Amino acid sequence: MTAPTMTDRTGLTGWLQRRRGVLITAALLVAFPFIISIVVDGQGLAAVWSNEQGNARFLQGLAIEVFILALYALSYDLILGVTGLLSFGHAMFFAVGAYVVLIAALLQAFLFAIVLPRVKGITFALVTLGFASVFWIVIQSSDLQEWAGAEIGLQGVEAPVWFLDTTNHRFAFYLVSLAILLGVFVLYQRIIDAPAGKVFASIRENEDRSLMLGYNTFWFKLMVLVVASITAALAGAMHTMHQPIVTPNVASLAFTVTALLIILIGGVGTLTGALVGAAVYRLLQFYLDRWYGAASELLIGLAYVLLVLYLPYGIVGTWRARSLRIKEGRDRLLQMVTGASKETSSPEE
Amino acid sequence: MSLLQLAGIQTFIEQFHILEGVDLEVAEGEIVALLGRNGAGKTTTLRTILGLNPARSGSVVFDGDDITARRSFDIAAMGIGYVPEHRAIFADLSVEENLRIAERKPGDLARKEEFIFGLFPDLKRLIRLPGTNLSGGQQQMLAVARALVADNRLLLIDEPSEGLAPVIIEQMMEAIRQLSSESTVLLVEQNFIVASRLAQRYVIVEEGRSVKTGSIADLVDDDETIRRYLGTGS
Repeated sequence: MTAPTMTDRTGLTGWLQRRRGVLITAALLVAFPFIISIVVDGQGLAAVWSNEQGNARFLQGLAIEVFILALYALSYDLILGVTGLLSFGHAMFFAVGAYVVLIAALLQAFLFAIVLPRVKGITFALVTLGFASVFWIVIQSSDLQEWAGAEIGLQGVEAPVWFLDTTNHRFAFYLVSLAILLGVFVLYQRIIDAPAGKVFASIRENEDRSLMLGYNTFWFKLMVLVVASITAALAGAMHTMHQPIVTPNVASLAFTVTALLIILIGGVGTLTGALVGAAVYRLLQFYLDRWYGAASELLIGLAYVLLVLYLPYGIVGTWRARSLRIKEGRDRLLQMVTGASKETSSPEE
Repeated sequence: MSLLQLAGIQTFIEQFHILEGVDLEVAEGEIVALLGRNGAGKTTTLRTILGLNPARSGSVVFDGDDITARRSFDIAAMGIGYVPEHRAIFADLSVEENLRIAERKPGDLARKEEFIFGLFPDLKRLIRLPGTNLSGGQQQMLAVARALVADNRLLLIDEPSEGLAPVIIEQMMEAIRQLSSESTVLLVEQNFIVASRLAQRYVIVEEGRSVKTGSIADLVDDDETIRRYLGTGS
């Protein structure tokens, strides 16, 4: 095209520029335990490696929970925010990763992905709810107590490799979970920037229009569901490594609603919102519970109401909308001052 | 031979019997206007051709192939472009993304951009803006332009003048006239004046049936038919 392309920066410099937000976040989060260890705990850098007790170790644990929740919410954002598929059964994918080994999670991802793209709208939501409800009942069944622990869940799952041992190698697990989260985030960004990502967006806006352009939307929905369910299962598997007990609650409708809540807080369809939303959700939950005990539930509810009222597109979504308006205002001002023409729409009707 | 031929089309949407017998033919290179009152079944006819509301009986033949039971994306890929009513663009995508998503093979847009931007110069200027920021007229231009990106032999255009200012309607009519040099057009249009200035032939649909067809030049002088089926005087 004669018009400039959307991304003119290429090569390593271009990649670094495009990903500078992710790289800065990664650097800050890697440095975070060391800073806490020195500033708050009064310990040295080595204390982080040697897994010393203290705030640094505790906050790494909390951060790992945020990373896992963010990974889970990110996968839900790909389904709902990017592609527009309302799923009530996303917790099932997380729970399969949490309860079963990852290989089984891959298998179930493909199995469900073959069925789910054939239904749409509210039927899709209900079918996913149906699958998840069955799974929730099955894992609580006393017949499977030996494997799934019935109502109690899984306890004391051993880490298969040392860097997934959150008890003895907390910092290694912290780095692994951070790397997985940011790696998946960059991968998702690449997906939605690619031509396939535009088709996902077109399915969200109007599936019929995608069909009439010649796209077999089945394959695109299949791709999204497989990628998202594998991601959720990965988050579930990491959850099992990190938590001493995995309860059946991770397969419940409430846990799907948690993913929904996180992306609503962060900003639906923004991807970054899943990360920000997970941090806000988990930290609010943790600190309000610590400070106010039983009253925290009420305060959390109040906080969500305020978020919805004042940040209607979520934290990231509202920020983007406002910064766009600020940019438009600045452009208009520049235009008035310089008298230069600007590419803006001019409604004729 | 006709490029498109519909015979005895019966279409249901859920339990509602919408098309109860539509027959029409479109020859290569012509513009045919599909006329009728609101709710007569014009849009459903277009959606049936594309398989979005598949026909329960009857046949749709495109370029000699029976496409009645084919799926929408297959039908579109055969070379049928659709410009839906209500400026159906992808509002969250930019103008460029809206055009690029319509490519069927790499380079489609590069080959057609001169033609498309020649028809709609505004779109070139607004290439990076999100669809939602365009005015109604610009969105309609983008919807038509999107159907021109791939090599479509037949364009189904639904209500291109709907809700547009007169000056934009003129621009849109000129664009349709020019694009008809590259594609055959089946045009649904409520505005009879617009339809009569563009089309060579017409088909009138009334309560789900095709009831009258002929040359548009003859229809312009046929006040009785216009009053009876279109509810307006010429």
